[in-house]
Amino acid sequence: MSGIAALLLADARLPAGGHTQSAGLEPALLGGLEPTDIPGFLRTRLATSARVDAATAVVTRAGAPVEQVLDAWAARTPSEVVRAAAVEAGRGYLRLARTLGMPTSLLPRDTPRPIALGSLARDLGLAAAEVARVAIYDDLQTACAAALKLAPMDPATPVGWLLACADPIDEAVADVAKLTEPQQIPATTAPLMELWQHAHSTATRRLFRA
Amino acid sequence: MPETRALRLGIAGPVGTGKSSLIALLCRELGGTIELGVVTNDIYTDEDARMLRAAGVLDPDRIRAVETGACPHTAIRDDITANAIAIEDLESDYPATELVLIESGGDNLTATFSPALVDAQIFVLDVAGGGDVVRKGGPGIARADLLVVNKTDLAPHVGVDADRMRREGEQAREGRPVIALSRNDADSIAALTSWVRHLLARHRHGEHVATDPGPMAPHFHADGTVHAH
Ligand SMILES: Nc1nc2c(ncn2[C@@H]2O[C@H](COP(=O)(O)OP(=O)(O)O)[C@@H](O)[C@H]2O)c(=O)[nH]1
Ligand SMILES: [Mg+2]
Repeated sequence: MSGIAALLLADARLPAGGHTQSAGLEPALLGGLEPTDIPGFLRTRLATSARVDAATAVVTRAGAPVEQVLDAWAARTPSEVVRAAAVEAGRGYLRLARTLGMPTSLLPRDTPRPIALGSLARDLGLAAAEVARVAIYDDLQTACAAALKLAPMDPATPVGWLLACADPIDEAVADVAKLTEPQQIPATTAPLMELWQHAHSTATRRLFRA
Repeated sequence: MPETRALRLGIAGPVGTGKSSLIALLCRELGGTIELGVVTNDIYTDEDARMLRAAGVLDPDRIRAVETGACPHTAIRDDITANAIAIEDLESDYPATELVLIESGGDNLTATFSPALVDAQIFVLDVAGGGDVVRKGGPGIARADLLVVNKTDLAPHVGVDADRMRREGEQAREGRPVIALSRNDADSIAALTSWVRHLLARHRHGEHVATDPGPMAPHFHADGTVHAH
């Protein structure tokens, strides 16, 4: 099962509302990030929020109590705007699980993306490293796809950015895949990125939800 | 089987043809007797939702905006997740809701709603877009549940024969309904509200079946049935 399941979860064509998300890129560009700095933005997410989310998904998949994982994740995601955006993204997974009759659909309505993803991974029989890789890849690829809408360029260029992150992604996957307890989730945050995202809820001109 | 879930009515059509105005009109005309909710799909801003909230025709909390990541067609057709969640939330926050109006952020003639998202859809054109738009056709023009030719009051100013546009619409639609509408024309407004009330009644009695106007032209299947998908 996990053979195609990991691919499904990483596929932008999965109908879970992924096209409404920019993984923080639109807020960053509105906040003053230069398009030439997007590769640095990707590395920053990989070192911070994407790592927290991947660890959260891994720990959820391992079967840690969801309320405890939620507390641990929320403590590492201080902006209520960022948390609310993650909950909206999570709802897409929950809705998918409901239609397909998977246990993940029983999670509370306010389950954020990384926990919904970890739970889906559990339903689908993914290995820890697979869910970690999907969580990180989806986050970075979401930003890359949004970049093409927000700051158009040769579409192969962001593919190169992502490939340049391949080794650090593997390292991050290895780091978080072995975690099983909520308190082991790394507490790496990027305050400026959070601040940009925090402002997005009141932005009057935006293409993406978050 | 009688339907208890709210009727979901999509409003599609090119930018500026009067979709938001039509929703405001329906809220004004029907809000007193029917419990309404609205979901907007702005391409770039929450302008439509704010305009409707500012119009004061409906409790602002019953007007929800969905961002589409610049994919307005996707959001109403292939990945309807964000819209479906917005509608489900409206219905769970206001369980008495009877009619949810969903405005598309579609920006051309080919965008139509999936029947998985809406039970019926209105396609809106206006006379200012030119008399030949109807003849150009498209899935929404040809096969939406209702075609509205809007702003007929402007027809003399833009050199368009509104009556002829309506007639050509009827021809292109093989008998499906067309309403020539103007916010200044009480009779046309009555025709619109009566169409909506009639649809709602059919929905409640389980007599209405959602059909897809399709992006595909109608075609034959091996078993002899005709589909517009
Ligand atoms: N003259 C006239 N203008 C109208 C009518 N309905 C809408 N409009 C105007 O058309 C413009 C675009 O309307 P709007 O509802 O925002 O269009 P949307 O982009 O399709 O939602 C606005 O300036 C409206 O005031 C009408 O019946 N007659
Ligand atoms: Mg509008």
